[in-house]
Formats: sequence, structure tokens, C-alpha cells
Amino acid sequence: MDLQYSEADRDFRAKARKWLATNVPTKARPANGHTSAQFDRDWQRKLYDHGWAGVAWPKEFGGLGLSGLQQVIWYEELARARAPHYINTTYVALMHAGPTLIARGTEQQKAFHLPKILSGESLWCQGFSEPNAGSDLASLKTRGVVDGDCIVVTGAKMWTTDAQHGDYQELLIRTDPESQRHKGLTWLICDMKLPGMDIKPIRTMMGDEHINTVFYDEVRVPISNVVGEINGGWSTAMATLSFERGLGFIGDQLELYERVGRAVDMASKVRLEDGTLAIDDAGIWQKLASLKADAMAIRAMTLADIAETDRTGQPGPKGSMMKLLVTGTHKALSEVVGDMMGWDFLEFNGDRSAHPWTYDYLWSWVFSISGGTNEIQRENIADRVLGLPRAR
Amino acid sequence: MYLVPDGDELEIANAAAEFLADAMTIDRLHGPSPADMGDDLRQQLGDMGWYALALPEEVGGSGLSAIEFALFFREVGRQCGPVDVLAQCLAAMTVTDAPLRSEITSGAVGIALAVTDSAAVRLFGSGDAKYAIWANCDAAELISLGDASTESRPSLDPSNSMRVTGASTSSIASRSGDFVWRMGQLATAAQLVGLAEAALDQIVEYAKVRETFGKKIGSWQAVRHPCADMAVRLEAARSQLWFAATAMKESRRDAGVHLDAAKHLANLAAAANTDTNIQLHGGIGVTDEHHAHLYMKHALVLIKMFGARRDLLGRLLHASVDD
Repeated sequence: MDLQYSEADRDFRAKARKWLATNVPTKARPANGHTSAQFDRDWQRKLYDHGWAGVAWPKEFGGLGLSGLQQVIWYEELARARAPHYINTTYVALMHAGPTLIARGTEQQKAFHLPKILSGESLWCQGFSEPNAGSDLASLKTRGVVDGDCIVVTGAKMWTTDAQHGDYQELLIRTDPESQRHKGLTWLICDMKLPGMDIKPIRTMMGDEHINTVFYDEVRVPISNVVGEINGGWSTAMATLSFERGLGFIGDQLELYERVGRAVDMASKVRLEDGTLAIDDAGIWQKLASLKADAMAIRAMTLADIAETDRTGQPGPKGSMMKLLVTGTHKALSEVVGDMMGWDFLEFNGDRSAHPWTYDYLWSWVFSISGGTNEIQRENIADRVLGLPRAR
Repeated sequence: MYLVPDGDELEIANAAAEFLADAMTIDRLHGPSPADMGDDLRQQLGDMGWYALALPEEVGGSGLSAIEFALFFREVGRQCGPVDVLAQCLAAMTVTDAPLRSEITSGAVGIALAVTDSAAVRLFGSGDAKYAIWANCDAAELISLGDASTESRPSLDPSNSMRVTGASTSSIASRSGDFVWRMGQLATAAQLVGLAEAALDQIVEYAKVRETFGKKIGSWQAVRHPCADMAVRLEAARSQLWFAATAMKESRRDAGVHLDAAKHLANLAAAANTDTNIQLHGGIGVTDEHHAHLYMKHALVLIKMFGARRDLLGRLLHASVDD
């Protein structure tokens, strides 16, 4: 084992740090609406123009083709510079749709979509979950019927983040009505401006309306928009996951250490109701120090996984463990900050920039439910890491 | 950058596992009195060179690094090995007198582990130990037990005898600085990770065969999910342990911070995993004949050594790490 960075790694860190120091937006991201999506597009465009877009993407598709370790460095520097959060309206396009097209898209699909994703010109949303298919994704029912050169889609998708800002959607539907479970699904690129689509925002407990239900009433999607094979959509969806190499939450993993540091700084200034400095309260300082250890372990685990993947080319089975650790640490940090902030923690107008800790506390449930609930992650660990007898 | 043990590191770990599973089988702990090292086992480990594993070659050691040291002690932990093993290693790092050092590394003399307990000193390890090693962040000291009157105390943990002696004992050798303390922290964290692993392995094996309500208990989510949580705690503690061991090997400026975090997380993982292991076993888990309680009792001893909660967290709160 070793903890050595190569000269190229150190140079990359220095270069990234220097650029971020002068280029991170000074204005806060608007909380809602199209101005927030425009803010994300502008930041992505800036990254693109200066050669920082697509850190994980291969060079031949316009990305930087960074090693896993250099991606770690990039996200550490983003956190240090307090750059715009990477989970924004560009997230699905950059972390999910783009990689899927790279793995399974046709030449035409790649040539048309990839540059637009990298430059922030097109935003994507995800249409996988349904009102009756969440944790059990393979039970999805939205139908697609081939009619001439189109697939006609009817049904509903739920929990679609940023559907109202998306230009395109990755849409997973059932094209073989006789099929069960993972078979008979198709992965489609769906243009969000097609007739027959109706987007209904779902207001969340944060007060925002980023999440939507999307209804499809005989929406005609060209067959040329199929990614992979018709009825082979599950394989396409899985290809994305292996490309991600378990790095879907890498930014959250690495920013935790910074955020714990900020909470310690806050505890050194904030006074509790009785006048005690928060950091002098044993319940608070011990939790903060323990969370720092958790954040360090998450970083060590990230580095271990990434170096292993860089060496073997195969992601390890540890993504589920990471998700549990990161979501748990995130929530515990929000709770202890809530404790020290006292009544101020209860002031909230839905604006993440204005009330970051309260927002993140509320978001902690979104974090531990979306992208595979913590319960599903425990099932994955029981099956794939521990080899316990199947529950289902 | 690589943070998974591999190559020669794994060979040492496998050799240790094989040797210890035979020499230090956990069944030894089911007797009526503490299963102390005793001369035979002490010298057997000395003959194999385990006490000199991380000593420099120029003083007769194997010259291996903090990484192999940690890998060895993880295996010691899995067998609920006596703390004497660590005491011998740390004593050999502390003395400069060559004949005494070789007596220690060969296992010819026994070393106990001393911890300060209010005005007294508490000793863990074989009753026939001639010396005791004591360390903190500033220094390490080898003390003679020759003339000291010691009082035996009943030990919860059958891996070690426990004794108490007055604080005034005579110093034989000392080493200033935090090196010995840090290696003690590393080895203790590694043993706790070994215990956390052993506890998880034990319940996973049981969950695959034991049945309730007509199904293997490992297919019930009430069992699966706590097992998954055990795996997560273990993975966090183990990853941080590898980071800390490598930071020690490379003499990184922030090695101490990583060790404090590693010990803290190992404390948590061992406490929780040995606890859950008993609970998920059901009735058999509280019986004397089962190993589950041995893991828990040994963890309780190691959790208090080389940094307990408040001590570790106090240092971690304002500490920072490098890139």
C-alpha cells in the first residue's frame, strides 16, 4: 500500500486549485425556477470553455479521461473552493445519460448529444421510477408499442428530478407486454418537448418543486432514439452503472470532511441558549470529532476503491456500503449543527443558499431514499458482500 | 496511491493467520482461568520472529513496516490474542540495550502491558512477566516488576490476567517521543478490526445454516440488515486502518491524526459488531461455550487501551489532515 501521488496528480491538483480560486461563481445559485437551471448551464459552460468539463468521460468523447484518483482530486478541490454543488440540473446528463450513450449509444446519438451535454446546452432528466415501481424498479409498467418508425409511449414516471428543465429524458419502458421483470424493457432518449407529455411538479418538504410526475399519453418517440436493443433496456441501464464505477456520490463523499470542518468553525463561534460556547458542550464537540473520523474513513474508502478500480478496471461491490456511510454521516452532521444553531435552525424559506444547514437536514431523507433506499442498499450488501441466503 | 493490502503484505498476513490459528486457537479461552501466554507460547512467537517484525534490521529485526505490523495484529485480534504479544513488540522498540532487546524478541522474558489507573498501575498479561511496558504520547518506559508487589484482580476477559501495582516501580529503559504509543495505537486498532471481522464472519456463517420459521435466519431482514450494518462499520474502520498504517510507514506529518481516527473507528466497530453478533445468535450467544462473548470481552479491554473515546475525540476535534 502507498499514499503517494504522482507528479502528474500533484500538478493536476495545483492547476485545478488555481483555476477554481478565481473562477468559482461568487453569486449564490437561485433557489428555484429557470434561473437556477440557467445558473447551472452557465457554470457548466464555463467549465467546458476552460477545459474542465467531463472529468470522467474518455478523451475521445470530449472529456478529460481522468484516472479515478484525479477525479478524487477534482472533487476535493471543488469542495475546497466551495464551487457550485455537482448535484444540480446538469447531474443526470453528465453522470448518467452521457456515460450510457458512450457505452451503448449509436454513432449518431453520440455525435448529436455528447457535445451538447458537456457544454451545458442540453439538460437531462431520468424516467425510471414509477408510481408503483420504485425500489422494485423491474416491475415498471409504462408501455411502449412499436408503430412504424416510432415507439408509442403511454404511462407515468415519478420522482423525475428537474423534468421541467430537462431537454431530454432517459426513459425506461416495457416494450414487450408479455415480459416479466428485467426482460422486455427498452431504454429510450425522449425529447421533453414531444406532444402528449404532461409534467406535474411534486412539492417536497424542502418547499421546492424539483421533483415531478411525468405522464405520457401516446407519445411518439422515434425508434432511432433506442439506446441498445429493443427489449434489451435493462442491460443498457446496467452499463451506465458500471461506467459510473460507483462514483455517483463522489462529491458528497469528499466534501464531508470540509463540511465537518465548517461545522467545527461554527461551533467555536456559536453560543447555546444558556451562553455556553457550542464547542464547550461535550455532546456537541464529541459528535463533531466523531464525524470528522467518519469523514476521514469515507475518504480512505473512496481512495481504496478508486485505486483498486484504476488497477483492475472493475468497480468493487462497495458502492452500497458507501451510500449507507455517506447518507448516515450527512444526516448526523445536519443533526448536530441543528442542535448547536438552536432556534436559528428553524428559520427556513426553501433557499438552499440562504439556509444551507436546514436545507441539508431536510435533504438527508432525499439522499437516503433516492438512488436506492438505504434498505435496498442493506439488501445489496447482504446478497453481494456477505452472501446471505436471499430474502426474495 | 494504493490502499488495499497486496503482494508481500498479504503473504505476511496469510503466514500470521496460519500460524496463529494453530498456536493461539480461540478454544484455549474456554478453560477455568485466564489463558495467559506462558513461556511456551511466548517463546514460540519469539522463535518465529513476530516480536521483531517491525524492528529495523540493524538491531536484529525483520525491518518490515507499519503495514505488516498492522496486518499481523489484525490476525492476533481475530484469535483474541493476549496483549502480551503487543507488549513484547513495544518493549523491543523501547530498549536500546542489545542483550535485553534480544531477550525480549526471543520471548525469553515476559512483558506485561501497563496502563495508568488513577494513582496505581494496572497490568495486563501473564503473571510471570518480569517487565512491563507503559507508553503515552510523549514517551514509553520499560519498568521492572521484580520487586514490585502486585495484587491479582479477577479478569472479565479470559485472554489476559489482570493485576494492580503501586505507581512507584523502577524504570529500566525509556524512549521519548510518540513512536511507541503510535505503534501501540496501530496494533490495538488492528486487533479491534480483527475482532469486528471475526464477529461478522461468525454471525454470517450461522445465519446461513440456522433456521427459524422454516427459513434460514439469514434470509430474514431483521438479521440481514444488522449484518449489513456490521459490514459497513467494519469497512469504514478497516479502510481508515490501512490509511493510518500507510501514513505511519511513510512518516506522513498527519499520521497521528489518521491513527486517532483509526482507533476511534475500530473502537466503535468492535464494540458494535461483537454486541450484534451475540444478539443475533439468540440464546446460544450468551452461553459460555460459545466464542461470541470472548470477542466482546476482549474488545472491551482493547477499546480502553491506546486511546479511549474522549482522549481520541479531544485530539481529533481540531486536527486536520493533508491532501
